[in-house]
Amino acid sequence: MAYLELKNVSKLFGPVAAVKDFHFAVAKGAFVSLLGPSGCGKTTTLRMIAGFEMPDAGAITLDGTDITSVPPNRRGTGMVFQAYALFPNMNVRDNVAFGLEVTGHPKQEIEGRVREMLALVRLDDTAKRFPHQLSGGQQQRIALARALAIRPRVLLLDEPLSALDAVVRVALRGEIRRIQLELGITTVYVTHDQEEALSISDRVVVMNQGLIEQAGTPEEIYRQPKTRFVAAFIGTANQLNGVVVDRTQVRFGETMLRAPVPSGLKESSKVVVLVRPESIAIHAAAPTDAHNVLEGTIQTITFLGPITRLGVDIGGTRVVADMAASSRAAFTHTQHVWLSFPPDACQVMAEK
Amino acid sequence: MIPWSRSPHQKISAWLGVVPFLAFCLAFEIVPVLLLLSGSFSDKNGAFSLGNYAKISAPIYVRSFWNSIQLSAITAILGASLGLLFGYAIFRLPAPRVREALIALSDVTTNFAGAPLAFAFIVILGSNGVVTLAFEKYLALKLYPTFSIYSYSGLVLAYLYFQLPLMILLIIPAFAGLRREWWESAHNLGANTIQYWRRIALPILTPSLIAGIVLLFANAFGAYATAWTLGGSNITLATIQIAFTITGEVLHDPGAGDALAVVSLLIMGVCIAIYQFANSRARRWAR
Amino acid sequence: MKQRPPVLQGLLVALFVAYMILPIIATYTFSIATKWDITLMPEGYTLEWYQTAFDHPYFSITLTNSFIVSIAAVLVGLLFIVPTTYWVHTRVPAAKPLLDLLMILPFGIPAVVLALALIRVYAFPPFARSPFLLISACVIFSMPFMYRPISNSLMAIDVHTLTESALSLGANTLQILIRVIAPNILPGILSGSLLVFATVFAEFTLANLITGASFKTFPILLVEFTRRDGRIAAALSVISFTVAWFASIAILWVSGRGRKPTEEALGAR
Ligand SMILES: Nc1ncnc2c1ncn2[C@@H]1O[C@H](COP(=O)(O)OP(=O)(O)O)[C@@H](O)[C@H]1O
Ligand SMILES: [Mg+2]
Repeated sequence: MAYLELKNVSKLFGPVAAVKDFHFAVAKGAFVSLLGPSGCGKTTTLRMIAGFEMPDAGAITLDGTDITSVPPNRRGTGMVFQAYALFPNMNVRDNVAFGLEVTGHPKQEIEGRVREMLALVRLDDTAKRFPHQLSGGQQQRIALARALAIRPRVLLLDEPLSALDAVVRVALRGEIRRIQLELGITTVYVTHDQEEALSISDRVVVMNQGLIEQAGTPEEIYRQPKTRFVAAFIGTANQLNGVVVDRTQVRFGETMLRAPVPSGLKESSKVVVLVRPESIAIHAAAPTDAHNVLEGTIQTITFLGPITRLGVDIGGTRVVADMAASSRAAFTHTQHVWLSFPPDACQVMAEK
Repeated sequence: MIPWSRSPHQKISAWLGVVPFLAFCLAFEIVPVLLLLSGSFSDKNGAFSLGNYAKISAPIYVRSFWNSIQLSAITAILGASLGLLFGYAIFRLPAPRVREALIALSDVTTNFAGAPLAFAFIVILGSNGVVTLAFEKYLALKLYPTFSIYSYSGLVLAYLYFQLPLMILLIIPAFAGLRREWWESAHNLGANTIQYWRRIALPILTPSLIAGIVLLFANAFGAYATAWTLGGSNITLATIQIAFTITGEVLHDPGAGDALAVVSLLIMGVCIAIYQFANSRARRWAR
Repeated sequence: MKQRPPVLQGLLVALFVAYMILPIIATYTFSIATKWDITLMPEGYTLEWYQTAFDHPYFSITLTNSFIVSIAAVLVGLLFIVPTTYWVHTRVPAAKPLLDLLMILPFGIPAVVLALALIRVYAFPPFARSPFLLISACVIFSMPFMYRPISNSLMAIDVHTLTESALSLGANTLQILIRVIAPNILPGILSGSLLVFATVFAEFTLANLITGASFKTFPILLVEFTRRDGRIAAALSVISFTVAWFASIAILWVSGRGRKPTEEALGAR
């Protein structure tokens, strides 16, 4: 039961394909993030939903009707931009009321809606202020109130937090999610910040060079990256180059690694074994009962707050492993250590 | 030596560095203008008097100010409206090279004031000018004697030549300051093009427009060479009357000259003050 | 913003260009026309008017005088404005509003009023009617043109950070000025100088009222000829325009070159 659907949508800018054959459905009330590096086509996708860009191929449907050629001012999509999109000549009330006023809503309804929206974003007392008198975070909350005031069918946000300080960014993304759940509004959120996407979305669409790399829940994206790109882009993953021996073993240098090899990968084909640093255990002495043991020397010790990350040189390959910060004192620079990780923490994918 | 340690000691001595320039300005600008001001309130013996201002209430002086104000207002408003229109057309040009060339052309032509410009207009719009002849030949339209480049209507055309590019130069940065997000937000919220212009773009441009209009007004009000070359003593403008009190072509009355100059300064001062205020408004939004 | 029909836009632009260049082209043509007062196009071409203009005894005198006044105004302006602006930007930022105000004042004083004020005060020798008084007036009148490019380039380069990073790398004050600051504000200094030169060269009002017949400048000669002989006036106007074009092209060239390093710096960020 797709509410918003993009059907094989493509967009070209001259010879450059910004978005290629994008096919994706958003359920009603869902919070979906488009995640990917700068220039991968996230904004273009969002702008096609809003109607600011016309797809060169494909169609967009909303609630069962084709909106591909509906002009932006009749789509009922509320959009929040990266920054500075509040009208500088209007105070907060007028900004929030704008969409209702231009579409001829009765005055009383407008006043009620403005109050409701300002309460929703918890800025009730700013109605008379002008944008330049607000902080960046407050401006973005007003921008959100303004977009929501028209009761849009879909809320679109294009990196709304990227111009803000780290602390405000984290607080406000929680706010956005709270408001989204409160209103149950279907939301498409664009970001290049993987932590942001994983923390607030129902579903994440990872994009690269105009293509969808993978779509799924945040857990799926993190635990079962389908491509090397996703694995490298989301969080940190060690990539060990090896050769398939059989269905359960991959040879990495001199070491045999136990790992589930997907059926598509033939014997002796070149593969990459992905292991997240938090899945790796670190031992001062050679462990006897562990699978997948690698021997190496500590190169770097990086304190990261709750965890400490060790960089270990395994015969020329650098592998990072995390441990609780409390056990840090146990290891020193250039110390000889053993790493181990369970087979089910490994993910094997083709090298190319 | 460290160029700027911020001790208060150094700060006071640092102000000394401004003294030579300040002295020059005092000597050749501020003190002479202040003396002009005090002179305008004195009689021949140096006693306080409003006599000079009584003198300049004579019809010829009142008319000269009225003409100056009219000419400045007409060329400012025409220049600003046309500048807004042409400026927008130039700003929206898809080819950046052409756009930059036109901005450069404006840069050059807005400084083409004075005698050569006045003469160029005589060449095209004088009684035997090429445009005058072309109008007669192709449109069967006799410009003269209804129109004359040597009259006020001619002055308007000649002044527009430097007013229009000045406005274009002032307004293009203001157009550039209109963020795409404002149009897109408005459109996204349901506004059409007219609603966007009326409620967002024009209000945001208003301070720049006002700044442009008063600057153009001041620019025209202070002008002398173009009018003098075109019309000579047939044109009655404030600046021309002031010049007469120096060259002594008519009655040579220093006191009246001082009073005329002070009234002009007052008008210019009001323009500059409005300009500064409007400009600070415009800057507040252009963050 | 809907895409305006390009026809209307093109028409507007063409109209603007025509209005801006028609008078100039007509003047250039008129200056080499044998006779051009009944026909739509000149009846023939000649350089006679230029010859007559060059042969006029006042031609070289006024041209020289104008060059003297313009160059002197540039030099005096540089002498006062460059050190003062640099000084204020680096040492006494508190004086910046005062400096800005001083640089706005000339816009509010019509040339005739400035001339009148100076003539009243400096009515005694050696100032009265002297080129020296004229040059001072021209400096005052043109100083905003000198100040703005210099001030802008000083602001664009962020003198403080540049100086502090140069200091931290071990440079001394002189090295900083010569090797770091000067090359960065040179385009500003050059375009300011060219602007002042062009403005003062074309300045008629101050010259006519302050020195007048005792020290004639080129625009004074031009105005005289517009009343006496249009052909020669045309030749003189063309010379005037040409000087202005050259100055403008030089300014564009200088500021175009000056913009590049900043853009590269921005791009590298
Ligand atoms: N208006 C445009 N004209 C030309 N190319 C564009 C335009 N908008 C975007 N692109 C190009 O399309 C690609 C995708 O851009 P965008 O959707 O903005 O990426 P993202 O938002 O993921 O950073 C980029 O290569 C960008 O340069
Ligand atoms: Mg983007």
